[in-house]
Amino acid sequence: MNNASNNILKSIPPTTDTHIAPPPYFSNENEISLFEQAYHNRLPVLIKGPTGCGKTRFVEHMAARLGLTIHTVSCHDDLSAADLIGRHLINHSGTYWVDGPLTQAVRYGGICYLDEIVEARKDTTVILHALSDNRRILPIDRTGEILSAHPQFMLVISYNPGYQHLLKGLKPSTRQRFVALTFDFPNAAREAEIVQTESGISAAIAKQLVTLAQALRNTANHDLEEIPGTRLLVNAARLIQSGCEPRRACQAAITECLSDEPEIVNALANIVSAVFAG
Amino acid sequence: MEEKVGLAWHRLVTHWANNRFPDAAVNLSQLSRATAILFRALGGNHALMVQAGSATLHQARRNWLQILAGSDRKEDLAWVDHEALRLPPIIDYYSDAALNRKLYFWLAALCAVDNRTHLPWLQHNQQATQWLIENYPGLAADYTQLVQAEIRRRPSIEKLPEDAARLEHAIRQALLVPGSIKQLPSARWSHAPVLLWLRPASSSNEVFLAENEQDSTHTDHNAQQKDEIRRTSRRVELPKRKGGLLLFHPESIFSWGEYARVEHETSENDDDNLVQAADDLDEISIATDSQRTAKSLRMTLELPTRHIDTSALGSDEMLLPEWDYRTRERRINQCCVKLQPMANNAPCALPEHLLTLQRRLRRQFAALLPVRQRLKAQRDGLEIDIDPFIRHLSHRTDSDNRFYLDQRKHERDLSCLLLADLSLSTEAWAGENYRIIDAIRDSLFLFAETLSDIHDRFALYGFNSKLRTNIHLYPLKSFEEVYDAGIRGRINQIASAHYTRMGAAIRYATTILSRQKTRERLLLLLSDGKPNDSDHYEGRYGIEDTRDAILSAKKMGIRPFCITIDQDAHDYLPHIFGKENFTVIRKPSQLPRNLSFLYAQLTR
Repeated sequence: MNNASNNILKSIPPTTDTHIAPPPYFSNENEISLFEQAYHNRLPVLIKGPTGCGKTRFVEHMAARLGLTIHTVSCHDDLSAADLIGRHLINHSGTYWVDGPLTQAVRYGGICYLDEIVEARKDTTVILHALSDNRRILPIDRTGEILSAHPQFMLVISYNPGYQHLLKGLKPSTRQRFVALTFDFPNAAREAEIVQTESGISAAIAKQLVTLAQALRNTANHDLEEIPGTRLLVNAARLIQSGCEPRRACQAAITECLSDEPEIVNALANIVSAVFAG
Repeated sequence: MEEKVGLAWHRLVTHWANNRFPDAAVNLSQLSRATAILFRALGGNHALMVQAGSATLHQARRNWLQILAGSDRKEDLAWVDHEALRLPPIIDYYSDAALNRKLYFWLAALCAVDNRTHLPWLQHNQQATQWLIENYPGLAADYTQLVQAEIRRRPSIEKLPEDAARLEHAIRQALLVPGSIKQLPSARWSHAPVLLWLRPASSSNEVFLAENEQDSTHTDHNAQQKDEIRRTSRRVELPKRKGGLLLFHPESIFSWGEYARVEHETSENDDDNLVQAADDLDEISIATDSQRTAKSLRMTLELPTRHIDTSALGSDEMLLPEWDYRTRERRINQCCVKLQPMANNAPCALPEHLLTLQRRLRRQFAALLPVRQRLKAQRDGLEIDIDPFIRHLSHRTDSDNRFYLDQRKHERDLSCLLLADLSLSTEAWAGENYRIIDAIRDSLFLFAETLSDIHDRFALYGFNSKLRTNIHLYPLKSFEEVYDAGIRGRINQIASAHYTRMGAAIRYATTILSRQKTRERLLLLLSDGKPNDSDHYEGRYGIEDTRDAILSAKKMGIRPFCITIDQDAHDYLPHIFGKENFTVIRKPSQLPRNLSFLYAQLTR
């Protein structure tokens, strides 16, 4: 029991399997080389972009490409610093320490990807400060450890600038530590290609789905809070591919997901009807 | 008796000549939002609204029955101008209601196609149709059905004289194979209007008239516009001559299709049929007259743009810019804002009818706002904090014994400026013995009570305007003042007058807010309708200027939000504030209660 209190267990290092094929990703500009350069220069990366434009896919792709493990944390408004760093737990012999996802990545290398960082509590972002400048350290006050980051550690955060609460945003002091990449939806031809690859749908229907998405995106800020991402198109394409009638598939996978107001949903159904003949 | 027979005959002939299907009629009012969304989705300008347009006069040949009935001189066609997308108020051309509905969507789609290319009418319509068919297979399918129905509806080629038949054939060919007809053959008569195409551009030679910016207090709120129809009109100059030729009775509007430049004395008339008379006119001519009548007819007119006085104002008062969307420039020193401190405000207590609501709000607010924050690792507190306790166990340090969770009031670092619209339109009745201005007054009272309870920094301003030279801002409470009986006295004094030059008021509020040192700065706008003033500041001009003011405020880190009671706000507020930054209160009487709740939601 006496020994147990000093017995700070470190979690087992994750096995890195570098042989997984990278998930398909269609580059828009030079973001792949930029990300690689940021990694080699040990700079943290901030990715901005609307929902479903491929932020997470990009990070997964890059992790596989660089042969790194990835620790993804989806941030929410109750996410505390302890959820990222780690905590003490109790077992029959006393207490022991368990690394959080951030500490794991810092200790053993890999990408720590914090998705929708603005959702996290403000104190959470502060712990990233020492990690994201040239010190690259993570002080763990609960164990008294000051952890220097593994050479293969990389911090990636993302957020959606369009989706904000009146009082939520990223502090400039946090934002200015990162190399920022802005993501937007790919152009029509590339998006159709993505939809086709992801769902196996015919080129003609993929093109129609992209036409629909672009029409819906035109109404952004006026009628819709959120514009449809490529993900919604892929979902609809998969439904169509498995035999669902196109209009019905678009309604279920796209329009109903964009709004709860019956009037708006009906109006969006008209746009679907304009694109897909019944 | 003669009249009755005449009336019956008219009804009968009109019925025979009628080729409409009232049973399958579709109203624009049912579809205005849906068509607007389709319009925007296909690339239409977000600043344009959907409105009913007036019928267009055409020179097509009519059959003897139509001539006898005096009907079918006009047809409802769609078009888009710099203000709005004009669709027919009602569509009942086809026997199938679904088809009439499809025509609405088709026309909205056609309007959305880029019309900056100034092609002639025939080419533009064919090209736009072609583009839609190629890109939207669903619309293409609808179009095929519509063309079939339209061809069935059109005059049959066999019954037409030779030249008209050739023309009709060409039109049909253009409908069936868009892009196939380069030029229409000439004919004695014009072809029957094509319902699937947009209206040909108007060719009326327009008279521009500079008008003095005069004190126009002529706002007649008794004048009711019963419809939302846009009427073709022009401005003309009234001859400056003393003594009229005729006594002018408004009913004679029946017979005055063309404007003759003769001055008429105006006289009172109690005929209710003015709206009908206005509808019967092909074009309405407007002139400025010094006289006023007790009865007036309000209608939306499609007037050529007036000359606008854009000279910069030179005075030592607060001068602000204004945005002109047509030239895309922010003109400096266009508006003069005058602070109007409330005079003679006797301190007063909270009105009695609000006391119950205020007590209830105070109770509910304590629960709604997260003014309490959970503090970890305290020496004393309400709950046990497990984390420091485990740490204590793992480290065995005796010094650290903070094992409790406590709650403490959380400091809110924000300033909020509430800007209330005090224009004359708030004088309208919102219920029995309750005007909109009363709802605004009550809202201000309760808002101030609530915010002073939770110790948020806030300021209250009212505004209205009389042209760009007189924009009045009423400081009810500045950020520095403490809310007390004196402030209540000022709120009690608010009254409505003049117009709503929103952009300038927002710019002024922005300058006040930008001086606040808090982390968050909120600008709440309390409004009852579109921005407007008695000059060119109306319609799209006012909307675009207000939008520019809001965008500037956002750039300065201020968060604007609009609370409106205008039920049509969905048409223009998203363009100004963005979809998520405004809310529409259904009933003005709900405003006092909802305003405080909205504030809680926005800042929690």
